[in-house]
Amino acid sequence: MDPILFQWNGSSVPAEPGDSVASALYRSGVRTFSHSYQYGRPRGLLCLNGSCPNCMVNVDGVPNVRSCTIPARSGMKVLSQNQNVYRGLDSPAVKCYPEAPALSESEHHYEHAYLPFEIVVVGGGQRGLEAALAAASQGKQVALLEKEPGLGGYLPNPVAQKLVAEVQDHPGITVFVNSSCFGLYEGNLLGVVRIDHGRPHAETLLHLRAGSIVLATGAYETQFLFANNDLPGIMLSTAVLRLLHQHAIVPGKRAVLIGEPDRCAAMQPHLTAAGIEVVASLPVDSVVGASGEGHVAAVVTETVTYEADLVVMCGPLVPDVGLLAQARTPLRWTPENGAFLAEALPPAVSIVGSAAGEGIHNPAYLLPPSSQSPDAIACLCMDVSGQDVADTIDAGMGHIELIKRFTKLGKSACQGRMCLMATVHLCGQVTGQTIAQVGTTVARPPAPPVALGVLAGMRHHPVRRTPMHEEHDRLGAVWMDMGEWKRPRYYDPSNTGQQDACVEQEYRAVRERAGIIDVSTLGKIEVKGSDAGRLLDLVFTHKFSTLPIGRVRYSVLCDELGTIVDDGTISRMEEQRYFLTTTTGNADFVQQWLEWWAAAAAMDVTITNLTAGLASMNLAGPLARGVLAQLTECDLSSAAFPYMDWRQSSVAGVPATMMRIGFVGEMGWEIVAAAEYGSHLWQQVLQAGAAVNLRPFGVETQRVLRLEKKHVIVGVDTDALSNPYEAGMAWVAKLDKADFIGRAALARMKQNPLERTLVGFELEGTVAPPDGSPILIAGKPVGYATSVRFSWEKQKVIGMAWVTPAEAMPGTQITLRSDAVDYSASVVDDIFYDPAGQRLKM
Amino acid sequence: MSFLLKCPNCGERSVYEFRFGGEVRQRPSPEATAEAFLTYALYKRNVAGVQWEWWYHRGGCGEWFKANRNTLTNEVHETTL
Repeated sequence: MDPILFQWNGSSVPAEPGDSVASALYRSGVRTFSHSYQYGRPRGLLCLNGSCPNCMVNVDGVPNVRSCTIPARSGMKVLSQNQNVYRGLDSPAVKCYPEAPALSESEHHYEHAYLPFEIVVVGGGQRGLEAALAAASQGKQVALLEKEPGLGGYLPNPVAQKLVAEVQDHPGITVFVNSSCFGLYEGNLLGVVRIDHGRPHAETLLHLRAGSIVLATGAYETQFLFANNDLPGIMLSTAVLRLLHQHAIVPGKRAVLIGEPDRCAAMQPHLTAAGIEVVASLPVDSVVGASGEGHVAAVVTETVTYEADLVVMCGPLVPDVGLLAQARTPLRWTPENGAFLAEALPPAVSIVGSAAGEGIHNPAYLLPPSSQSPDAIACLCMDVSGQDVADTIDAGMGHIELIKRFTKLGKSACQGRMCLMATVHLCGQVTGQTIAQVGTTVARPPAPPVALGVLAGMRHHPVRRTPMHEEHDRLGAVWMDMGEWKRPRYYDPSNTGQQDACVEQEYRAVRERAGIIDVSTLGKIEVKGSDAGRLLDLVFTHKFSTLPIGRVRYSVLCDELGTIVDDGTISRMEEQRYFLTTTTGNADFVQQWLEWWAAAAAMDVTITNLTAGLASMNLAGPLARGVLAQLTECDLSSAAFPYMDWRQSSVAGVPATMMRIGFVGEMGWEIVAAAEYGSHLWQQVLQAGAAVNLRPFGVETQRVLRLEKKHVIVGVDTDALSNPYEAGMAWVAKLDKADFIGRAALARMKQNPLERTLVGFELEGTVAPPDGSPILIAGKPVGYATSVRFSWEKQKVIGMAWVTPAEAMPGTQITLRSDAVDYSASVVDDIFYDPAGQRLKM
Repeated sequence: MSFLLKCPNCGERSVYEFRFGGEVRQRPSPEATAEAFLTYALYKRNVAGVQWEWWYHRGGCGEWFKANRNTLTNEVHETTL
């Protein structure tokens, strides 16, 4: 097997199989893993189980990775953090962060998975294994979560090893290792981050929905408070055991043990067996402080200085009830355990093992006076000292929650795991309260911290293509995104890159001959049932129950405040069946809006969104009739098929509906057929139109054509506050109708003066400032332009803009500003092209 | 917000499958004053406690239904079409 080699601050470091980044670095002699955030104090290994912030490093561009939790892998680039913190006597700390990689360059794969289980056991130690097996033996589907790479705990334990084998063989148990549970949410949802070490840079957010939950999260050890308690070489006893038993690393030669006598006595044989000389076992209140330059060299008491290169803190064991605390389960101080334990459990949650206090007996202990010194570090993440805590209490903020808020203690990476118990003790000692009186702070998820990328998940870009997508591609479409849809902006068959020239050719085809545009992206909804007419009468401003079969009507959909929400055409297909079109982005919204009103009034209607099932295209232009006549037997004359009528007929051999409508201002037909026929119909229309040089046209051309007609695009020319009166569409507010949504508001608006109004304007020249440019009067903004295009009809730039009514008079001079360039324009009242609308009805 | 909601058609599902539709309220009759309509449109009761509300099963059957939910605890007592 190839040796494992990775980069540490640019130099190569070897690792043994089974090494974490932290253990490999320690093995190769690294003692300072990071520098503290505020004061740049050197920090070494403390907990080795992902609880403390000391070993956080940058791995392959990802900051704040706890190096003890991640296996060493060849080729990793590991950088220490806060190495450049400089603290002079009066200088502010200068921090240097590695440059963040651009988002698009990120190699990380973040995925989400949603999995239900009857029982989820959190924690793969002995009690978790037992709980998983007990549940699985009753035939339950069980998930077992373990944050570390292996099950069964870190100490040699033959009983646990036997259980591990049973669990791994059991078909009813799904094991997730390297999986940290960071939150317990309502509905028994567990948030879990699973790191897949087999795939570099892959993390999965598991949404585990559990019938019931067993917490077997164990207990973690926490530090003591004394001067220089944060020197490298001062470790928790559990970290020392991990180095000795998991990694076969001997972390020192001369050790001092600090803690209760029985804990120290239990620890001593492990050290002695590894050849480490134990020079003293000290109760914490006898410790004056540790000393050393960059690494611990001695422990000082009132009477003796013990030289040592390893200090082992047999610290209090804290039952890990973090998930319950985050879920707002009340915690209670239990003196016999010397720990905060869950007072009551949420439904369907149980807790076992040391997390429930089993085997936890932390005797009461006193902190030494040096615990209030500036060098006694309570919060390793934020460099909050015991003195800071004492000063905060002295300043009147003696409540543990105030201490947390004022000092930032407990609010960073380790989420209070290393600082909280020591601070609670210190607070009790300074204020003369019992631990129960001091209490603990409110916990909130997530803990442990979760990378934002994991929460965000994969970058999904759903794309919708119309049935004629490949036709457009062949014709040289230049694409644009419209919501999820891809639409041709214009066609550039010779790949000239000249948008204006291409658009002009398309424009001239529609105005002079014929053109065709794919409008399949428009929402298409069928409404049928005995209440169909009643529903549409309520939802739209116009009346539809009286619309004759065979007719089409344009209408607007308002909300109860009279704001324009959407617009479209409604065709009456049968007595009790209507066909609606919506704007491209609003199909789902309109469908849900109709369904909601139908549900609220218990109407007999069936609403079906047909958008994806139908292809539609708009054939328009003075020669359009001749083109379409080649494809259908249907009489297309205005006498037989007038403007705003629809007919069903065979077109190019396939069943289709033709609606005679005209968004672009020319005689035209919208042809709707099953999506499967879309390509065929498109090709047939192009072929039939070849003789008159018919051209396909895109959205950009359509925007110019409809702007010349001053046809408003909802969502482009209107915004979230526009009403029909100010949008110049007073005619859609059918106040003579007894009731429709928004009628009351519109009736009130009609009596009030307008606050703003949508006007047309012309400006000299051929350069069109962008849509959205502000409108200025005497240098002050009064509104903005919604659409600005060059009009070949007018041979000048035209547009629409929101202005205050004072500027709405025709002839008023207004100024558009874009990129510090001013454009003079004048307001015009007339429709720019065919004001009488005769061309639609030819 | 991670509670389960029982769709009358599909059964119990994650709330993420649903779209919230607001409080169940009575629209004024067509003859009501503009004030009554604006109150209806703009002023919600915003109950801290149990209320009837609309939900839409967007990621499922596409049905609008009513749920009786405690807004403080997200306990759902009843759902009905």
